[in-house]
Amino acid sequence: QGRESMALHLTINSSNPPLGVLLAAEHVKGSVNLSVDEGKDNKLHVSESVQFSDVNSITRYLARVTPTLSLYGSNMLEQTEVDHWLEFSTRQVCGQSGLATALGELDKALALRTFLVGHSLTLSDLCVWAALKGNNEWQSIQKQAGAFSHVARWFSFLGSQVPFTAVGNKYANSKAPPRKCDEK
Amino acid sequence: MMALRELSSLGKCLGVKKPNKYSTQGDKKVPVLHNNNGPALVGLVTIATHLALVQQWLEYRLTKVAGCHKDDIKTILKDLNSYLEDKVNLAGNQFTLADTLMYYGIHHIIVDLAVQEKEKHMNVTRWFDHVQHHLPPVVVLRNRVYTRGHH
Repeated sequence: QGRESMALHLTINSSNPPLGVLLAAEHVKGSVNLSVDEGKDNKLHVSESVQFSDVNSITRYLARVTPTLSLYGSNMLEQTEVDHWLEFSTRQVCGQSGLATALGELDKALALRTFLVGHSLTLSDLCVWAALKGNNEWQSIQKQAGAFSHVARWFSFLGSQVPFTAVGNKYANSKAPPRKCDEK
Repeated sequence: MMALRELSSLGKCLGVKKPNKYSTQGDKKVPVLHNNNGPALVGLVTIATHLALVQQWLEYRLTKVAGCHKDDIKTILKDLNSYLEDKVNLAGNQFTLADTLMYYGIHHIIVDLAVQEKEKHMNVTRWFDHVQHHLPPVVVLRNRVYTRGHH
């Protein structure tokens, strides 16, 4: 029961809010004692000696500390898949190489799936969705009819769900100059 | 409250059995429909379209799918496949009764499909798999609880 009473403090970079972290925070807030403050850098304060500043480390920790939500999948294979998509979101979606290659791969993976891993929402959905949301190239590709139809369906389905709309309304628009990607 | 009255009569006209949960929002009293899962729907026309859409698929299930002929199966699969290209559920982003009933309605068709046909109609296959993982499982006990009487 120590888990419930343990208080976590999350500070986010308010000039470039990390959407993936905020989505994860929104999902776990009913299961863990978590406070969110705005500041200069992204940091999850677990204790005096344990703090995370990398976006993927923060979301991983939040998912692991709330096992009942299954945000990290429900078995070892799914965990590995989640890790794959976390890396994909930082390297391929936010990477230097063109977005089209990443979208092609994502579209293939989503043809027969509603969620990226398993049959419910995981960190992979949160992080890949957040990376795309903050990507200007995707915003313009999205306007073309029929382009990457599976990605488009998945993206708008998640975007219509409650935690996504809440975070979207609060932070996505406040992002001052649109940037290609979240800083690490 | 005008909008709420309109919606409940629309519901009656469409034959919706269970009354929906509505509330209103803001000074203009914009109607809001609360879903059990998924986001609430806001606005008269949005809610009306949603109700009609669910009803349309329930109707389709009864008139086209139930007792369909072997020749009709191809058409049903083709129609559903193109319809589901950009949707997760039949009524868009919300899981509704239409999904449950259509799932049971075409279960016997999907069971008989070859792997190649499942891939050909991949939007139907994806939707079907999504539904079958979201229906509540029926609990059956392994041991008898009521050993005497109750028969």
